[in-house]
Amino acid sequence: MRPRLSLWSVGLWLLAALLVLFVAGPLVRLLLQASPASLAAALSDREVGAAIWLTVLTASAATLLGLGLGVPLAYLLARGRFPGRRIVAGIVELPVVVPHPVAGIALLLFLGRQSVLGGGLARLGLEVVNHVPGIIAGMLFVSVPLVVSAAREAFRAIDPKLERVARTLGDSGWAAFRRVTLPLAGRGVLAGAVLGWARSVSEFGAIVILTYNPKVASVLIYDRFTLFGLPAAVPAAVLLLLLALAVFLVVQLLAPEPVRR
Amino acid sequence: MISLRGVGVRVGGFALEDITLEVPAGGYGLVIGPTGSGKTTLLEAIAGHMPLSAGRIALRERDVTTAAPEQRQVGIVYQQYHLFPHLSVGENIGYGIRKEGAGSREQRVRELAALLRLTPLLERGTVGLSGGEQQRVALARALAPRPGILLLDEPFAAVDPATRRELRKELRALHEREGTTTLQVTHDFEDAMRLGDVVAVLADGRIAQAGAPEQVFRYPKSRFVAEFIGTGTILRGSVERTGSVDPATGRFAAVFHADGLSLEVVAEREGGAYAVLRPADLILSKSEAEGPAPRNRFLATITRIERESAIAHVTLNLGKTELLATVMSSTAEELGLRTGATVGVAIKATAVHLI
Repeated sequence: MRPRLSLWSVGLWLLAALLVLFVAGPLVRLLLQASPASLAAALSDREVGAAIWLTVLTASAATLLGLGLGVPLAYLLARGRFPGRRIVAGIVELPVVVPHPVAGIALLLFLGRQSVLGGGLARLGLEVVNHVPGIIAGMLFVSVPLVVSAAREAFRAIDPKLERVARTLGDSGWAAFRRVTLPLAGRGVLAGAVLGWARSVSEFGAIVILTYNPKVASVLIYDRFTLFGLPAAVPAAVLLLLLALAVFLVVQLLAPEPVRR
Repeated sequence: MISLRGVGVRVGGFALEDITLEVPAGGYGLVIGPTGSGKTTLLEAIAGHMPLSAGRIALRERDVTTAAPEQRQVGIVYQQYHLFPHLSVGENIGYGIRKEGAGSREQRVRELAALLRLTPLLERGTVGLSGGEQQRVALARALAPRPGILLLDEPFAAVDPATRRELRKELRALHEREGTTTLQVTHDFEDAMRLGDVVAVLADGRIAQAGAPEQVFRYPKSRFVAEFIGTGTILRGSVERTGSVDPATGRFAAVFHADGLSLEVVAEREGGAYAVLRPADLILSKSEAEGPAPRNRFLATITRIERESAIAHVTLNLGKTELLATVMSSTAEELGLRTGATVGVAIKATAVHLI
C-alpha cells in the first residue's frame, strides 16, 4: 500500500514546481514567439550576424585571457601559503557582487583615455573604450571569478604529494604541473572556462557603458528593443538564447561526475 | 650516503629540530616514531619539498641543502603510494625516465616489472589495484631512474600482515640488488629489526636516540625510547619444535635456544629467529620458586638498577646474556632489589615474541 500523501510533501512539490515554471516559462515562451521565418530573417540580418560573431569572438578572447591569467592565480590560491592569500581570493570574487553597470563605470574610469592606463594604452595604439578591447575588458572583469574559482577548486582537489612525487622523479615545477596537475585538473578548469565564456556572452551592463559600438548581441537586442519595440528584438534574442543553451549543454557534459559518499 | 647535520624544519606550529643522522652509502636507515612525530616531514625535507630553517643536508657527498627536488636524484614512496591516476601502471613506472631513449626506457620498465611481479599489470590503469600491487608500482616508479637514494614513508602501513612480510622480504632483496641507500620511516620496530642498519627514534620533532638497531633496542637511553620501542632484550637463537602443530593457528610449542638460555615458547616456524623480551613481561621474585607459575624460570644476577620516578629499569646477568626488566619502584622496594643480588626471573611462554 502506498503511503498517503501528506500536506508537507504536496506543498514541497508544489513550491518546487512553481519555481521551475517561473524559470522555464519565459524561456519557452520566448522560443515559441519566434517564427521560423523570423529566425531565418534574423540569421540573414547582417547586423545580427555580425553582433553574434563579435560576441563569440570577444567572449573567446576574454576566456583565453581569463585562463592565461586566472589559472596561475588559481594555482597560487590553491597551493601557495602567502600572507594576504584570503584577501587576494576575496578581491577576485568581488565582481560577483558589483552591479554590472557599476563595474562598467569603474572600468571606464580605469581604462578611459583620461586615465593613466587608458591614456598610455591609447598612445601605444590600443584604444579600449568604445572599441573591441573595451568589450573584452568588461567580459573579463565579470567572468574572472567563475574561471578562477573553478580552477582553484580543481587544483585543490589534487593531492600536492602527486606533484612532489613528480618532482623527485626529475620534473621541474612547470613539468610536474604540465604532466600531472593539469591533466588531472583539466576537466574542472575547462568547465570553469566554458562557464566564464557563457558569462561573457551574456554580459550587458558593463559592456553597454564601455563600448556601445561595435555592438555585441546583448547590446544589439537592447538597441532594437528601445528603437523598434519587442518584435524587432525577439529573433536576435532567440538566437542568443539558443547559443546560451548550447553552451549550457556543454557545461553539463563537462561537469565532474558527482562524488559518491 | 644520506647525511643530515642539525636539520630544522618548521611547518605551521610543528618543528623538526636539530636532526643529525647518517645513513652510509648502500645502507638501510630507519626512523621510528609515533604518529605525528614528524617522520613524513623529515623525508620531505630530504627530498627537497620543505625548506630548512637550520642545518645542512648532503646526499652522495654533495650538499643539496638548497637544491630543487628534481636535482637531488631521490626516489620517494609515500604511505598512500600516490600513483598517477591518469597514467597506466607502465607509464607510472616509466614516468621518471622519459628522457632516456624509448628502447632503454621500455627495458628498464620491463626489468622492474619482472622484479616486482607487475608484468601482467603494465597496460592496466591504477584504479582497482590491491594495496600490495600499488605499493610495488610505487616502488618500481621510484627506482626506475636509479635514484641512488630511496625514501620510504611507512611503506607497509596500508597492507595486510601477510603482504607486509612478503614486501619486506622483497624490499630487502631489492635493496641488495639495486644497492640503493634507503631511509624508511615506520612506527613498526619489526621493520627496524629486519631491515635497518641504522635506527633513529624520533619523538616530538627530535631524535631521541640513534644507532645500530640492536644497540638502540638493548640500551634505550630514555624512558620514551624504552616505552615506545617496548622491546627491551633481543636474543638471537633458534627455534626447536617440541609439540604438535595446532591446525587452527599453525602454531606449536617449542624451545628457543639462545646463548646460555633456553626458553619455552609458542612458535610459528622453526630455525633461526630473534626472541624479543619486553621488560615489563619479566616477572622478578626473591627466588626461583616464588611467584605465579609461568613456564620459564631461572635465576639471574642484578648488574644495574636505574630508577625513574615510578619505575625501575633492572639489568640482569645470566652469564652469557643480559636481560632488561622494568618493575614498579614499589615492587623494587618490596623485593629489596640491589646491584649484585640474585633474583628469580619468570616469563610466560606466550610473552616471548619471536620475529
